[in-house]
Amino acid sequence: MHNARGTTHEAYCVEREALSMKQFQVPRPPDDALRDMLASLMDKGKVGGVFALAQTGENSYSYALITDKKLLDHIVPTLPLMPANAGKMVSRLTMLEPVKTPIAVIMRPCELRALFELVKLEQARLDNLLFISYTCGGVLEMKTAKDGLQLKLEEYWKQVKTGGVSEDMRDSCRVCENFVPTGADITLTLVGNDNGKQTTVQVNSEKGEEFLAGLSYELTEAGPELEALDSMRKKRAEQKPDVFGQFAAEELGMAGLTALFGRCIGCHACGRACPVCYCSSCHFEAAENEFDPSTLETELTNRGALRLPTGTLYYQIGRLFHVSISCVGCGMCSDVCPVDIPVASLFAKLAGSVQGMFGYVSGRDAEEKIPTSTFEMEELEEIGA
Amino acid sequence: MTGATIQAKNGVNGAVSAVLKSLKDSGCVDAVLVPTRVKSGETFVYLLIRNPKMLDSCAPLPPVMPVQGARALQSLTRHGKVEQTVLCVMRPCEVRASIELAKRRQVDLENVLFMSLDCPGALRTRDYVNDPEALDKRYQGILNNWEGDGLRPTCETCVHFSCEDVPVDLHVGLVGTKEEEAVIIGVSKRGEELLDKAGIECSEDVSAWQVEVEKARDKKAGNRSKVVSELKDKAAGMDNLGLLFADCINCHNCMRVCPICYCRQCFFDSSDQVRLRAEDYFAKAQARGGIRFPGDMMQFHLGRIYHMGLSCVGCGACEDGCPMDVPVSQVFAFAGDEVQKTFDYVPGRSTDEPIPTLTYEEDELHEYEDA
Amino acid sequence: MADDGAARQLDKEILSPKPGIQSPAEGGGDFQPRIVGFLCNWCSYAGADLAGVTRLKMPPSMVAIRVMCSSRVDPLFVLKAFLAGADGVLVAGCHPGDCHYQTGNYYTRRRFALTLKVLEELGLEANRVRLSWVSASEGGRFAEVVTEFTETIRKAGPNPAKTEVFL
Repeated sequence: MHNARGTTHEAYCVEREALSMKQFQVPRPPDDALRDMLASLMDKGKVGGVFALAQTGENSYSYALITDKKLLDHIVPTLPLMPANAGKMVSRLTMLEPVKTPIAVIMRPCELRALFELVKLEQARLDNLLFISYTCGGVLEMKTAKDGLQLKLEEYWKQVKTGGVSEDMRDSCRVCENFVPTGADITLTLVGNDNGKQTTVQVNSEKGEEFLAGLSYELTEAGPELEALDSMRKKRAEQKPDVFGQFAAEELGMAGLTALFGRCIGCHACGRACPVCYCSSCHFEAAENEFDPSTLETELTNRGALRLPTGTLYYQIGRLFHVSISCVGCGMCSDVCPVDIPVASLFAKLAGSVQGMFGYVSGRDAEEKIPTSTFEMEELEEIGA
Repeated sequence: MTGATIQAKNGVNGAVSAVLKSLKDSGCVDAVLVPTRVKSGETFVYLLIRNPKMLDSCAPLPPVMPVQGARALQSLTRHGKVEQTVLCVMRPCEVRASIELAKRRQVDLENVLFMSLDCPGALRTRDYVNDPEALDKRYQGILNNWEGDGLRPTCETCVHFSCEDVPVDLHVGLVGTKEEEAVIIGVSKRGEELLDKAGIECSEDVSAWQVEVEKARDKKAGNRSKVVSELKDKAAGMDNLGLLFADCINCHNCMRVCPICYCRQCFFDSSDQVRLRAEDYFAKAQARGGIRFPGDMMQFHLGRIYHMGLSCVGCGACEDGCPMDVPVSQVFAFAGDEVQKTFDYVPGRSTDEPIPTLTYEEDELHEYEDA
Repeated sequence: MADDGAARQLDKEILSPKPGIQSPAEGGGDFQPRIVGFLCNWCSYAGADLAGVTRLKMPPSMVAIRVMCSSRVDPLFVLKAFLAGADGVLVAGCHPGDCHYQTGNYYTRRRFALTLKVLEELGLEANRVRLSWVSASEGGRFAEVVTEFTETIRKAGPNPAKTEVFL
């Protein structure tokens, strides 16, 4: 069951960093640098479209597929907001067939990981996609978009520069240690850099290099970013007791779980926003899972009362069974929860344990199999007697 | 109309739960579907209660409506009737939504009885779960004065807060009653029988309460016409609608918490809508220079108005479930109002009234034909 | 889970009270563990059959649900039985290497490891679920497994999920 690769994400990233081929600097802030780069790629006909976060109104943002160069002004690829997980969105785009025209896709590391999980689940294809990602300082809660975004951004970018943690971030981001993208062709190293003035670009693959060919740049050595990445890793680890503490096994149990999900209204928003909860027809919404009135007498006899709608814990724990192995900890589930259940933190904690058991980090590599879809003959002897 | 005064020294919830207990004890009700506070205290869930002891802690009129009661009843009876006699204690809009679902065969009303209460509205659930104590106090104030801050926007303009046009069996009147008192009324014949069997004699004149209800309704109707005229300016035209829905992240949660939107497989989440060939997505993008992902936001909202606007009871669940606070319930209640007027239809008024689009008259609506 | 036959059967089996056994809410007397067993058609179900035919002694605590392969058991089956109030849930299949479908039970093992992990992390009683390999010829082993598991469950007491209202 032990993976041939490093078992920690950190070790894996070191490996990846060694693979990165070239690094150079652009004297423009990241979003501007990206717009320039993408415009030139479109001009040269190297990409026919761009998939990135875009501003769609005064305080509103959405992912968009852009084919007209003029609309590139609207993209805000590094703005720390996530209205939807881009991995899920690219899965929609490529579900039935690969894209034929090459497009540049800009997404965060966890979104890229979600996409790779979806590829393994045969929900997306990667052909003709050029992946641009960046070392990620996390995202703010989506509601921030209409509630003091500018002020919070200042603080956010300050923390990104020094490898710190911003209090306004999603809880799942505060504890995320997978903020170095794996599998991106081009990586911007935002963490540890002063992103107000310049952008550091890494080229990680031959594909990336091919796309950038013809662009004039001077190679540079790795700067302060490695130190900042270390600091961020440490600071995020320090957040874990705060974010995960409430989910210690002894705090949960039947009593803890019914308390945690007492306020759940059964809207299933968490599942629908989840990038790796991919079934188009969900078991928990199927007729088979609905209450059978002929069992009412027994239920009332056993319990004295019945909570309606039924199956709150069944849904939540069931979803943990189904998706914790692929959970990328993006935090979409908590962000859309209308009653503020810290469901993303619970999922992130369990994802760590479940994936750790198999030496797996979801989505770090599109080629790696999901542990439950493969096996080794000699393993887990302690299970099954 | 006649009723009986019940003492509410320990609040409305205590008074009504005592009535529920005597109804249960009389044997004419097997189980009661009623909101109950969870153990951790920060919210309420619907419980179908048979154990009479559990009725002690029920909360017939909680400050919030986290799950629309019609969805609770639907979850119980979607696959057929219950054999037990179930009394559902709900807000008027929840009863009305249940009736609409029954017309769509998503709820089976056999063996089901309804009790409603004069409803001052519901507070926003997210506010409540984050500070239940403070909001309990605020709600007490709202119950006393019949107005206050923090209610769902649609509740501020709701004219169906009492039992008129709501086909309930029993109703608890609260508006303008003396402090620490409420009135219980057997509205239907079955309701009268129930009270009779439970030994609650309903001979008092309740016209004073009725007058107060009228007054309160006039006030709400005033709010309503004001809000509607404001909204008319704000929502008219594609650009304005775009602004209203600007913050929408297309999560479709409004649809999932809507009691009326019952389809298991929503058209707007179906393969036809979200599984296009990459080339088709590209063609769509090229026609405008770009497209949003997820897309078709406006089609979703307007399409939903077409699908359920006629049955919209204005409960505000959609807005309560919206993670981005889009004013979706207000747009819906407004648009719903307009289409309902066209057919002189009041959703949830009566089980005998068919949904207008499922029936027709041969000689009608000529003004819509090309003239 | 396209075919929910097994899940449906589960509802009926678990929920309907057995004659003579009082409900927990009524404060029924001696605790009789009720175990749901998902048995693979080719090995464990045949093993159970053999145990019966050979008239081996074992407690009448298990309700058997036959599945074509232990790998058909979605963790949700286990969860559903658990939340419906089963005192124990047994998954039984062919020994590793002997799967009728070559490799099904290797997947079962991984899936079960995941199931256990999640239950442990959530502070739920993981000792109420068990995976055992029982071949078609092991009637004796089947009786042992059931006896042993029943004793474990008897010590653990009734599953609190049986009477929990706020599930």
